[in-house]
Amino acid sequence: MTATRDRLRRSAWAGLGLLLGLWAFSFATSAVWPAALGRCPFGYDVLRPDSTVCELAIGGLWVSLSIGIAAGALATLFGLLVAMGARAAGGVLEEGSLRLADAFFALPDVLILMVLQLAAQTLADVHPELKIAPAPLMVASLAAVGWSGPARMFRNRLATLETQDFIAASKALGAGRPFLLRRHLWPAMRGYLLAILVARIPAAILAESTVSFFGIAKVEPMSLGRYLGTSYASLLYPSGARIVVPAWILLVLVVLGAALSAQGAEPERN
Amino acid sequence: MPRTVGRIGRQLAVVPIAALGSYLLIAALPLGAEEDSKRQLPPELVASYRRDLGIGEPLGFLKPWQKLFRGERLGTSAQGVTGEELLRKISGSVGVGCVAMVLALTWALAFAALRSQRRGSGAWAMGKLIPAIAFGTPVFIPALLLAPYVAEAGHWLPELAAALVISASPGIFLGALLTDAVRAELSRDYVRTALGKGLAPGAVFRRHVVPNVLPALLDSIGPVATALLAGSFAAERVFGLPYFGQLYVVAVLQKQVAIVVVATTCFAALLAAVGLCVELVRLLVDPRARAAGQP
Repeated sequence: MTATRDRLRRSAWAGLGLLLGLWAFSFATSAVWPAALGRCPFGYDVLRPDSTVCELAIGGLWVSLSIGIAAGALATLFGLLVAMGARAAGGVLEEGSLRLADAFFALPDVLILMVLQLAAQTLADVHPELKIAPAPLMVASLAAVGWSGPARMFRNRLATLETQDFIAASKALGAGRPFLLRRHLWPAMRGYLLAILVARIPAAILAESTVSFFGIAKVEPMSLGRYLGTSYASLLYPSGARIVVPAWILLVLVVLGAALSAQGAEPERN
Repeated sequence: MPRTVGRIGRQLAVVPIAALGSYLLIAALPLGAEEDSKRQLPPELVASYRRDLGIGEPLGFLKPWQKLFRGERLGTSAQGVTGEELLRKISGSVGVGCVAMVLALTWALAFAALRSQRRGSGAWAMGKLIPAIAFGTPVFIPALLLAPYVAEAGHWLPELAAALVISASPGIFLGALLTDAVRAELSRDYVRTALGKGLAPGAVFRRHVVPNVLPALLDSIGPVATALLAGSFAAERVFGLPYFGQLYVVAVLQKQVAIVVVATTCFAALLAAVGLCVELVRLLVDPRARAAGQP
C-alpha cells in the first residue's frame, strides 16, 4: 500500500516536473534565448521561411500552457465555489445548479467556446471600447466553459465527506460550518482539487487549440493551435506533414504530464 | 421507472437550456440598436440579426424556427441555410458519427484486448502512453495529415477518413473504461463462486461479467457521442465535408448569429436523442434499470 502511494507520489512529481519543464523550456527558448532553436530537424516553416518549425511550435507551447493553466485554475475555483454554494444552500437551489452543470457538461467545450467567442467578438465590433485582448478572452471563455465538470465532482465529494463519521462527530461537538470547512473538509479536498485542476489543463489546451485552429480566436503571441491553423496551407507542399509533428509531440507530452500528476494526486484525497 | 423518467428528463432539459441560453446570449448583443458603431458590421448581417431572431418580439426565440419550417432562408442570403438544407447537413454529420461510433467500439475492443494481456513496461505503455497519445491528439492533427491524400478523392473516402480520425480518442477512452470495468467485475465474489461451482471461464464471462459491464459502457456512450460530434467540427472543416460541423464553424466565422442559435439547439437535441436511445437500450439490457421501477 505504502509502495503504491510512493509510486503514485513519484509519478505526480514527474508529471508536474514535465509540465513545468515544458513551460520553462518553451518560455526560455522563445523569449530569453531564441537562437537556441535556430537549428531544427524539421527545417524551416513553409509559410514563414525566416522561422524554424521548432521555434514556432515550442514558442507556441508556453502560450498554450499559460492559457491552459490560468483557465484550468479559474474553472476549478469557479466549480469549487458553485459546489460549496450548492451544498450550503441545499434543496431546490442545489438541484437547480446541478442540472445547469449537467446541461453545460453535456455540450462539448468547443461548441460553447465558439458561441462565447462569437458573442464577445461581435460585442467588440459594435463597442470597440469593450474589446478584450484575445488571450484574456480565451482564458475567461475556457473558465466559463469548464466549471461544470469540477462543480459536479466537488459537490459529490463534499456530499460524500459530509456523511463521514468524523464530520458527524465534529458537528455533535458543536462545530460550525466555517470550522468544519477549514478544519475537516478543506484538508480532505486539497489533493482532489489539485487532481482536478491538473486534469483541466489539457482539456483547456485542446479546446483552445481547436478554436484557434478554426481561426475563431487569434491569440497573441501565437499559441500552438493558432500556429497549426495558420500552417494549414503548408500541407499542400511536399513534406508539409513535418510542420504538424513537433506540435503534436508537445501536446502529447502535456497530456502525459497532466495525466501522471492527476493520478499521483489521487492518494492525497484519501 | 421514476428513475428512468428522471434520467430522460435530465437528458431532455439540455435542449431548452441550450436553446434559451444561446438565444439570450446573442439577443443581449446590442446589434439591434441604432448606433453609429454598428457600421463596423456588414449591414446585411445586422439586417439578418433583426429579421431572423425576432429581437423584442414576444416569443421571439421561436422566430428562427418559424422561418425554417416555412422553408425560408435563415441568415444572409449568400451563406444562409433553409430547413431542408439543415436537415441534410445534420443527417450527413449523423451518418459520419454513426460510422465513427462503430469504429470507436472496434478500437475499444482491440485496445481492451491488448491492454488486458500486457504486463510490465507494456502495461505502462497501454495504461499511460497510448491514452496520452490518443487524448493529446486534437482531431485536426490526424485530419491534416490525411487530408492531402483523401480530401479530393470522393467515393465517400473523405467521410470515412473523418469517421476514422474522430473515432480514435473516444475508442481508446471506451477501451480503457471497458478494461477497468471487466477487471473490477472479475475480482468480485460472484465470479469466484461461479468458477468454484465448475462453470467454464468463458461461460462465466458471457453470462455474468458481460451483463454487469454493459451498464458502465452505456453510461459512457453519452460523453463518447459528445466527443464524436465535437470532433466532427474539425474533421469536416479539414476534409471539406459540407455537413453540420462545417456549417457551424462557418456560421461562427461569418457571425451568422441566427444560424448559430439554431445549430446549437439542434446539437443539444442530437445529444438528447442519443441519451434517449441509451436509456431505451439500458431498459432492454439491464434488469436493474427495469427492476428500479417496480414496487
